Amino acid sequence: MRTAIYWLSRIWRSDALSAFGLASLLLLIFLGIFGPLLPLGDPTQIAAGPRLGPPTPQHPFGTDELGRSFLPRVVQGIRATFLLSAIAVLISAMIGTFLGMAAGYFGRAVDIMVARGADILFAFPALLVGLLVAAVLGPGQVSAIAVIAIATLPLLIRVVRSVTLSVAGRGFVTAAEVAGASAGRILLLHILPNVMGAVMVQLTYALSIGMIIESALSFLGLGVQPPDASLGSLLRQGSAYLTIAPWMAMSSGAVLSLAIMSVNLVGDAVRDALEPLKGRDLT
Amino acid sequence: MTSRKLLGSVAAAALMGLAALPLHAQEGTLTWGKPAEITGFDVHVAGTVASWEMYQMVYETLLSADDELGLQAGLAESWEQTSDTTYTLTIREGAAFSNGRAVTTDDVIGSFERIKNPETASYWSHQLGDIASIEAVGDRTVQVELAKPHATFLPALAHITAAILPMKELREGSFDPTQEMMGSGPFMVENHNQDESWTLKANPHYWRDGYPLAATLEVPIIPDESARIAAIRDGRIDFTTFENPDVQRMLGTNAQVEIQPQQTTNYYRLDVNALKEDSAFFDKRVRQAMNLSLDREAINNFVFDGSSAVDYPVPAAFGKDACRDLDTYAMPRDERLEKARGLLEEAGNTSPEVALTISSANPVLGRIGQVVQQNLSEAGFEVEINQVPTAEYLQKVFTDGDFDFSASWLAGYTDPGMVIKWWDPNFAVWNLSFQQNVPELSEALKEVSSIADEAVRDEKLVEICEMIDDGANLLALVGKSDYVVYRNDQVEVVVADRSGSANTYQYIAEFDPK
Amino acid sequence: MRLLLYLLPRVAAALITLLGVSVLVFLALRMIPGGYADILLGPFVTPEAREAISQRYGLDQPMIVQYWRWLVSLLQGDFGISMVTQKPVIHEFIRRAPVTLELAFIALGLALAVGLPLGVASGIRRGGRKGLDAARVVGAIGASVPDFVVGSVLIFIFSVWSLWFRVGGYVPFTDDPVGNLQTMLLPGLTLSLFGIALVLRTTRDAVLRVMTEGYITAAVARGETPRAIIRLHILRNAAIPVVTVVTTYFGFLLGGAVVVEVLFSIPGFGLFTFNGLLNRDYAIVQAGVLLAAGVFVAINMTADFLYAVIDPRVGS
Repeated sequence: MRTAIYWLSRIWRSDALSAFGLASLLLLIFLGIFGPLLPLGDPTQIAAGPRLGPPTPQHPFGTDELGRSFLPRVVQGIRATFLLSAIAVLISAMIGTFLGMAAGYFGRAVDIMVARGADILFAFPALLVGLLVAAVLGPGQVSAIAVIAIATLPLLIRVVRSVTLSVAGRGFVTAAEVAGASAGRILLLHILPNVMGAVMVQLTYALSIGMIIESALSFLGLGVQPPDASLGSLLRQGSAYLTIAPWMAMSSGAVLSLAIMSVNLVGDAVRDALEPLKGRDLT
Repeated sequence: MTSRKLLGSVAAAALMGLAALPLHAQEGTLTWGKPAEITGFDVHVAGTVASWEMYQMVYETLLSADDELGLQAGLAESWEQTSDTTYTLTIREGAAFSNGRAVTTDDVIGSFERIKNPETASYWSHQLGDIASIEAVGDRTVQVELAKPHATFLPALAHITAAILPMKELREGSFDPTQEMMGSGPFMVENHNQDESWTLKANPHYWRDGYPLAATLEVPIIPDESARIAAIRDGRIDFTTFENPDVQRMLGTNAQVEIQPQQTTNYYRLDVNALKEDSAFFDKRVRQAMNLSLDREAINNFVFDGSSAVDYPVPAAFGKDACRDLDTYAMPRDERLEKARGLLEEAGNTSPEVALTISSANPVLGRIGQVVQQNLSEAGFEVEINQVPTAEYLQKVFTDGDFDFSASWLAGYTDPGMVIKWWDPNFAVWNLSFQQNVPELSEALKEVSSIADEAVRDEKLVEICEMIDDGANLLALVGKSDYVVYRNDQVEVVVADRSGSANTYQYIAEFDPK
Repeated sequence: MRLLLYLLPRVAAALITLLGVSVLVFLALRMIPGGYADILLGPFVTPEAREAISQRYGLDQPMIVQYWRWLVSLLQGDFGISMVTQKPVIHEFIRRAPVTLELAFIALGLALAVGLPLGVASGIRRGGRKGLDAARVVGAIGASVPDFVVGSVLIFIFSVWSLWFRVGGYVPFTDDPVGNLQTMLLPGLTLSLFGIALVLRTTRDAVLRVMTEGYITAAVARGETPRAIIRLHILRNAAIPVVTVVTTYFGFLLGGAVVVEVLFSIPGFGLFTFNGLLNRDYAIVQAGVLLAAGVFVAINMTADFLYAVIDPRVGS
């Protein structure tokens, strides 16, 4: 808890852009968690207003083609987009850390298999992996999670593997090996703590990539199922009515972009703090 | 041009009115923004509207539907039913394939045989009935003898799947219907870039002299609705079709863009699975409760902005009275919900959980699904929506029968007797995976197709409708209109007010590029 | 010799990667519910018709036989035939190659033209002090706004006020250069936004890293002009990471930008492969994925090769 507060205050103080990212991220997470409790209206209520109505005080983001108020739908979308991406990225981080450490530490056959596997996944265009996995599993939340996890996995494996390789050769690992520590113990006690920093940085990137992939899939019609909504599926819905009801696509697109941007900015701040680069002036 | 042919063309021109004699015949280019690519080349096999629309440019059927959904001449100039089971059809003089060879009785016989051949895998084989024999009885006349009466034999000939292929070339191997098209229709294919565009040229041997009016038909494939709207707005395409009624608003005010709605006998429907034992809908009462709790008016209002209309198993477009007095339609909604809850209680399942499977390709279906979801929740149902890719939807519903209910639309074709036959699964075949076989209903359906007297037949239809409603197995929701949108400064279109066989561009030969 | 020893294992690894991709895409496609028979026959599918169609297209063979046949014909340069048109799919890909290439070059060109100078400027400035700089804002926006959001906004703007640009209606550059640019610039711009951010951020980071090195301090101490320092030391040493991301980005672009092609109706690799997937036209998807992966792998190898050339230490 104290470290969390330390990090938050550090990002907050680092610069205006990072602070903006942190503030909007916290706001979006708040909306995602408490959105259903806020008096915004029912996201699934058909005919809550006119069809394709423009924004009004009662429906600040306008209404959609079934007369549903769009603001509560966007809030519902924030929740889905964050939740699905976060779950997926955590799964991916766990599997990726395990495989990456195993590959880096054990080397040889394990390394070849894991590294080749990551290469194969990496060579697939991310969206095509997504389309294939979504097609195999059928659209829905489970497949959205699987898609994001699979698409971000090679990223994490690669980073963890290379950090592990550099750590494994260091003195304290060799010392532990000489002292007869088991491989599991070495991985857990000596290597994992050193890998965590890199994983944290990659996690934020993976999270923003996950959000992009989820919304792209939803945009192509392979995401969450109605009446549930994610920011991508709302954008798809809105883009069909772009010319006569632009508020749908614009509001969901703006919120989605803001969400991804805030994750990226916070990620940048974390990385800058972990790997400070101090240069100098040229004059 | 031979003198005979010239005479023919003068006669034809006289028939059509002199105004139709084209002064600038066979010039100019039409551009049709087609919403979807074909799914295969074989006209006898493909069961998708996207394919039919292209086949209709190139191929011809013996008969076609007129504006009243009756039958009119097509490739056959005359036809006659001489007994319950005997038909004679005479091929039009001068009809020829685009390679110049005249259409012969052999082509007709061969095409029918090809459709009936199980190896062809044509779904139209059932629709043609049980053909006992088919033979030439003159130069241009064939006689078809059915094994038993089949009242919809003639309407079935008006559907593009019954197209006449050049069988001589097919047998010789110079024409492969699975990868090219050659027909006797107004156009022939000159170039095709898959998923991108087609270029069609006027068929120089088309029997209607002076037609088609356009020399070239360019067909860019534009699946995206917004892109199609942009294309018609800036005049890159001359005409196109939309399914979404909101297109009228999206196109905005533009004096050059006109919208012509075309009423069809097609309607949006629900397929309810009566055969899956672990589905709540296995119990007939639950199906009936579902049917009662639907609010078709709401579907019309919220999905179609009130531009469609409630539809019935016998499509409203045919103007029959059948089905209108049923509780499903006539009872006020409150009472219907009450009755639905009662039925659910009786069935011992007051909050049935069911999944609605829909193809994600058509956003209109998704919207219908969400209104249905809300309608049913008012009676206690819990509906989960599964929007899946088309291929998956088709397999789940029509092959595996692994679904609770699903939304799609039904082609009403050109005869009420034809569409109503779908409620006999042994006849329809495509719904064997979920449609219950009700012997009395099947019996009644067989009977109705042999009733010649219109009034008696209508009475029978009322009776049939009650049985259909009782089974709640395949439900009509609201009518489906197509919207033909065209540039009045670039093209003069001829579009029938009504269409039965997804033949929106039936009069493409008369489209006149300006 | 050094280069050869360096490259050989990489070529072998690339081939294994492609083999793995081919197995995965083949398996995945056959696990997808619904097949071409469903698409072709529509609702009217009967078990017999399904059987007949499967036989006609060889889909009734055991999977391993199907895969082997595909692999053997692949090695002979045959990518299979489309079930819809019954024609070799490779012809369609070749026909579409100029479209995808053009789109990729437009996006890459814009990304480099905007991203590089901004990145260098931002990196050098950041080297001294903290604070908000415009380049970072551009970078943050570019990396965060998904292409379909940018595309939707552009389509909205240019369809409401039909300005010079057009949505859809691709024409080849050789037929109508102006018309071609009218349709290709918007999607190119859409795709480039992410590239701009990518190049900018990478360049900035690379420059920042270089600025910490001792030889910069030494050069400043020697009294070299800032211009000379940037050209001789910074750009040269910052080049490797930039080359890496630019090549990766180019590979991504060449693999077919599905979303942008779908959104703008651009007939390139991405849209074709996407339609193939919807139609369950296996040969198209297999070829599309394999080509994308092949381009990606080849580009990465080229990048590896470039490192070895740029930096003599690599591989020795």
